[in-house]
This record gives sequence, C-alpha cells and structure tokens, in this order.
Amino acid sequence: MADTAIWNFRQLAHHELDGFGGIGEGMSIQIAKDGRRILWLAHESAPKNFTAVDVSDPRAPKIVARADLPQSHMRSNSLETVGDLMAVAYQTKEQGLQPAGFELFDISVPENPRSICFFDCSGPHSRGVHQLWFADGEYVHMSSGAADFTPTHPKDDQFYRIIDVKNPSKPVEVGRWWLPGTQQGDSEAPPVRHPEGADTGFRPHNTNVYPERPDRAYLGYIDGGMVILDISDKARPKMVARWDYHPPYHGFTHTVVPFFDRNLFVVSDECVRTEGADWPKLVWIVDGRTETNPVPIATCPLPPLDHYMRKGARYGAHNLYENLPKPNAWKSDHIVLATYFNGGLRAYDTTNPYQPQEVGYFVPAPPERAPSGAIQINDVFVDERQVVYTVDRHVGGLYTLEMDF
Amino acid sequence: MSGAFTRLKWTSEAGPGALFAGSDAPLFGRRQRRPRGPRLPVIAVTGFLGSGKTTLIRALLDKPEGANTAIVVNEYGEVGIDNALLRSSSDVTVLLGNGCLCCNIRTDLQETLRELFADRCRGAVPSFERVVIETSGLTDPGPVLQTFATDRGLGREFYLQALVAVVDAVSGEGNLARMPEARKQVALADRIVVSKSDLADRAATVRLLERIASLSAAPVAIAANGEIAASFLLDEPLATRQGFDIVDPRHTHGLCSFSLFFEEPLSWPSFEQAMAVLTALRGPDLLRVKGFIAVKECRGPVVVHFVQHVSHPPVELEDWPDGDRRSRLVFITRGLPREPVAQLFASVAAVTTAGAADPLVHYP
Repeated sequence: MADTAIWNFRQLAHHELDGFGGIGEGMSIQIAKDGRRILWLAHESAPKNFTAVDVSDPRAPKIVARADLPQSHMRSNSLETVGDLMAVAYQTKEQGLQPAGFELFDISVPENPRSICFFDCSGPHSRGVHQLWFADGEYVHMSSGAADFTPTHPKDDQFYRIIDVKNPSKPVEVGRWWLPGTQQGDSEAPPVRHPEGADTGFRPHNTNVYPERPDRAYLGYIDGGMVILDISDKARPKMVARWDYHPPYHGFTHTVVPFFDRNLFVVSDECVRTEGADWPKLVWIVDGRTETNPVPIATCPLPPLDHYMRKGARYGAHNLYENLPKPNAWKSDHIVLATYFNGGLRAYDTTNPYQPQEVGYFVPAPPERAPSGAIQINDVFVDERQVVYTVDRHVGGLYTLEMDF
Repeated sequence: MSGAFTRLKWTSEAGPGALFAGSDAPLFGRRQRRPRGPRLPVIAVTGFLGSGKTTLIRALLDKPEGANTAIVVNEYGEVGIDNALLRSSSDVTVLLGNGCLCCNIRTDLQETLRELFADRCRGAVPSFERVVIETSGLTDPGPVLQTFATDRGLGREFYLQALVAVVDAVSGEGNLARMPEARKQVALADRIVVSKSDLADRAATVRLLERIASLSAAPVAIAANGEIAASFLLDEPLATRQGFDIVDPRHTHGLCSFSLFFEEPLSWPSFEQAMAVLTALRGPDLLRVKGFIAVKECRGPVVVHFVQHVSHPPVELEDWPDGDRRSRLVFITRGLPREPVAQLFASVAAVTTAGAADPLVHYP
C-alpha cells in the first residue's frame, strides 16, 4: 500500500467513522452548551444522513450522533450550523422524487438532533437541494430546484434560492435567480450546451454570502462559470458579473471565495470524471479589482498529472476552505486550502497572487476498503484553533491535522 | 526624501503582489510561524573523515522522527560507501559525485537540490519533507552557507536550517589544533555533536568540550553509540545563548564569535544601514550573522541571516519564540570583535533619530 505523503501538515488523528466514512461537502463546527466542540458532517450518500463528531480533542475524535436517511434514493451532501440550529440539504437521485428540500434541526443536545421543519423543494423537474450556505442564522442560500421551475434543459434543474429561516419552524422563500435562458418561458436563448461528457448543467453549486458584502452572492455556476449577484434587494437579485471560461475548459465551476481585503477571488472547479478525463480541473486566482470584470491571473499548481492520473478515481480540484463567517472558523486572506480527490489536500500561499506557491500537502494512504484503491479527499474545514479537518468521499472518514507552514 | 532609501530591496520580491497587498501588508510578506516558513528544511552535517557522520544520520533515519528525509551524500573518494550505507535507510538518497562540496561540487549541490525538488513536484521520487546533506570530511562549510544565501531560486524552496558539526572524541582535539577546516566547521555550526566518547578517555572528552567552547557558543550534545535525540538535529535552533564573546586568538586562530542584544526595538532602515556599512567594509570577514530583530515597523520579530556580504531575505514571524523580546544577533567573524560592531550600531541608530521630527521613517 502506498504511504501517506505529507508536507507541512501534522496528522493528529484519523477516524474511519465506524465503516461509514464516505463524507460529502458539509462540515460545520458547533460549540455545544457544555463546551464540547462538535463537528457535523454530511455524508456523501445513503444510508447515512449526517454524523456528529466530538473534536474537542482533535487527537481523539469521538462519534456522538449519527442519523440515517429516510430513503435510499436520496443524499444529504451539504449541511451548515449556526449556534444550535442546523440546516441539512436533501437531494434525490432523480427528478420528481421525495423528500427533496432541506431540514432544520435543533442540535442543542448533539446526541439527539430534533427536527424543527422540512422545507419542501420537490417537483416534477426538481431533485431538491444539492448545496446550502447558512452562516447568519437568518437566511439559507442554496442551489435547489422547485415545484414551479421548469428548466429548458433537464440538467439545469437547480437555481439560486434565498430562504428566510428567521422563524425556523416556517421558512419562506424571499428571492431566486437563474441564469437567463435556463427556465422555460425566458426571453433569452438557452445557453449553448457543453460537449458530450462535459455537459454538467447551468446551475449553481456553492452560493456564498459574507458579512463584508451582505449585498453580494458569489456563485460557482457549474457550466456557467463564476457569477456575482447583487442581492441588496433579495427579492430581485441582479447579475453584476459573470466569468465564463468554458469551453475551452471543461465546466463545473464549484466554489468562489473572495479575499475581500485583497480584491481577489479564489475559484475552484470540480473534477467529475475519473483518471484525468476532464483534466485540468483547477483552482484559479482571479483579479477582482474591477468587480464587473473579473480577470484570471493564475492557477494553483496541480498535483502532478503523471503521478496521480492513474492512481484511480478522480484527480483534480474540488472544494476550497471558504473562510466561513462564523466565530469558530479560521480566516485567511492569503492561504488557499483546496481538495483534489486523489491528489489530497493542498495548501497554497497567494502572497504573490500571480505565482501561488504550494506550501503543504496531505495525501493519505488509500483506506483499506477504498473501492477505487485511491484516496478521494473531498472537503476541508479549519477551525479558529487552526485545526484542519478533511474527509474522504468514499470510506476514509475524517482526518484531523495541524498546519505547519 | 526618506522614502527614497526606505523602500527596501528586500521587499522588492513581493512586488507583483503589491497590487493585492491588502490593508495589513507586512513589510516582508506573509508572517511565518517559524524562520523557515513553508520551505523544506536542510540539515547539513559536517565533520572530519571518520568522525561518525554516517552513523549519526543512519541512527536518525531509523527513528520515526527521521521519516520523510531525503539524503544527499557528498563523498570524497572513488567508491560511494556512505551512499550505500544510507540508501537502505532512506527512500530518497542522492550521491553527489566525487569531490568536496566546498569547491568543485558546489554547483552540483545546487543542481541536485533543484532536481530533487522538481522530481518531488512531479512525483518522480517519494514525498519527503526535509533534506539531510552529508558533506565530505574536508568540507569548509562557508561555501555551503553561501550557496543558500546567494542562490535565490534555491532559497525559495529550501532553507538551511542547521549546520551540524560532528567532532569525534578520539581525534577531534588534534584535528581542531591542526586543521583550519575543522575549526571552521565548529565555529560556524548551529549544533555540535561529540561522537565516540565511549572510545576516548574521560579527560580527553572534557578537554575537547573545553576546546569546542572556546570556538563556538552553539549547543553541544554527546552521542551515545552514535545516537542523539532526533530533536537536537531536526528542530529549528531558535534560542540564542545569553551574551557571549569568544575572541581568544590563541585558540580561535582569528575566528571571533559574539552576540549583541538591543533593549529597544530598532527601526528597519537603521538596522539595514548598519549592516550595509558593515558588509561594505568587512563583508568577507562576516562568516555568519544571524538573529531576531525587534523591528519598530513590524508586529513580530524579523529573522535575519547574513553570510559575508549577502543577506537571506528577512522573514517576519507571527510571534517571538520565547518571552525575551530583545533583538539579538550572533556574529561569527574573521578577526572582527564585538566592540566596533556594537559602536557602529549605536552610531547609526543615533544618526537615524537625532533631530528627526518623526523618528520613524515614512514608507511610501
């Protein structure tokens, strides 16, 4: 078995989550009333919904709660917590199935998450919610379908929705936006499809909103590139900028993270094909000095193609650490932490944004039962203690690390 | 006018980033946790032929702390025996031709390290997170120091973390008396390991330790069966011994070593001008100058390291390594004692501030 490749990270612990170590893109820290630090993790796929891990001692993580999904044809994938409130996304395998939407939980007793409400997003053309952003305790920003939304192309079934959860037992939609041309009845022409194999939809993935700019939403719009919306009037979001670099690139813009103080954006693609078929999937550094005209100025060096392409499963960029605007999250306007599936977790220093410099990596040895024989590092979170949490998409579970760069 | 000389040459490397520097732009780039920043630490082991360098390195590689180490072996001889001995212990071992690092092999070292880094980037060699260089017995460590100071390409990826001198208790005393290279190895070292004390009589070991103390203020460890704590070799040497002054010409053959402490924070322009004068007048005699500076314009301490007339780019740390917030500099020189250096710093500081309306120099 290959060894762990590690540089400028120190591994503190590894927990395979008792055989359910396939984790999606939801990682959120709660400080419980009794002081325990609970990491909530959304699973990649059924049968598990979410797992709560006590990481007060990051060297000895302990599972404290775990929930199953009500159906096998759904997944949670994404979750966020604010205080004792947790929002969990539900997406079905196919359109028209249920339950599709998101659920709010009271997690004041982490061992016993209590459902507050389910917000239904199902519909004949909807798979529900793939991803949600919930940071201020008031609004859920998400990529979702809806009963009243008929896309011009079935792959464009999700769009940007803002849900007011100030009354957690009765969430209400307050605004929505979709790329013009993607809903039937739009006056604009539908977007030109990407080539066969790279046609992954004109729909949002991550929908980030930060207190530094509460009037902006930063969207990774999958095949539509990066989109900046003016949401000063939540009922009527307006597009401020769109940076579309596909083709020639293969689509699937995933996350947009602003480095506000430095007028930069960090933008990640998601690799969705195996063995380098959609190479290169990149992390981009974008000049954001003129908001209406984002200009790419660099990419972060990819893990070496020759070495990783044939290691199995996916190889390429995916999630970024997003500087979550919460008290228990680390903030950096200089360091990019990005996950690359079989290329592991990578850290870059963007002090000179024209030449991002790799400053660390963590590529764990493939877990014993890895179906592809490869590690698939999926997401990353950093708490305010600067403890790094990273997860495997298939079986490896949770790794806790310290940064040493 | 003040801006004309204060936009310091060391900040020019961060130039392209200046457009995106942000509101809290440190003078020397991102503040680092430690002097090496993210760079790969290099530990260079010097010591005379037969002093026990290979044994020491092998013992390190056998410990868990020694995992992920690439070894560069520089041998003086026809057959690379040490290389063969070490190859079994490390996944990455490079033999650096025949000859001595300080002369004909110096560019080879640069090329080897660059190649190692490139091979690591493209996955052609197993991942490693530090490099240990075993130098040949005859090596003068000065040029090795200079290589890391002058080759900025290399300095971006690698950081010479420690020069370790191995001195054996049996023949070390004689070597130090007869061989200038041996004295220089000890005088310039960050760490000194005394080996083979089990083969020497106790009185000889005590004499050797005294002799070493007359040349260097660096920490000394006595190896047991060729082994010492891994941290002694691998940890970044941060602490500076309290004030010392080694100038006795009978023992040092003209090598001086002393420390300077400054109670008050220094302004960077003042420090830089003092070093500029010093390097202009006595550059070749400044074998090594290193330390932490409390810079008025910076939040954390600034790590400086000079080799002759060349400076490593300064690094600002996030925090001080210990409770002592005074600037501290260690000088290892050829014939230049403490007093004139201390006077130079005092004079430059006085000139910088005397009569100035605003003693802190303005930055553009």
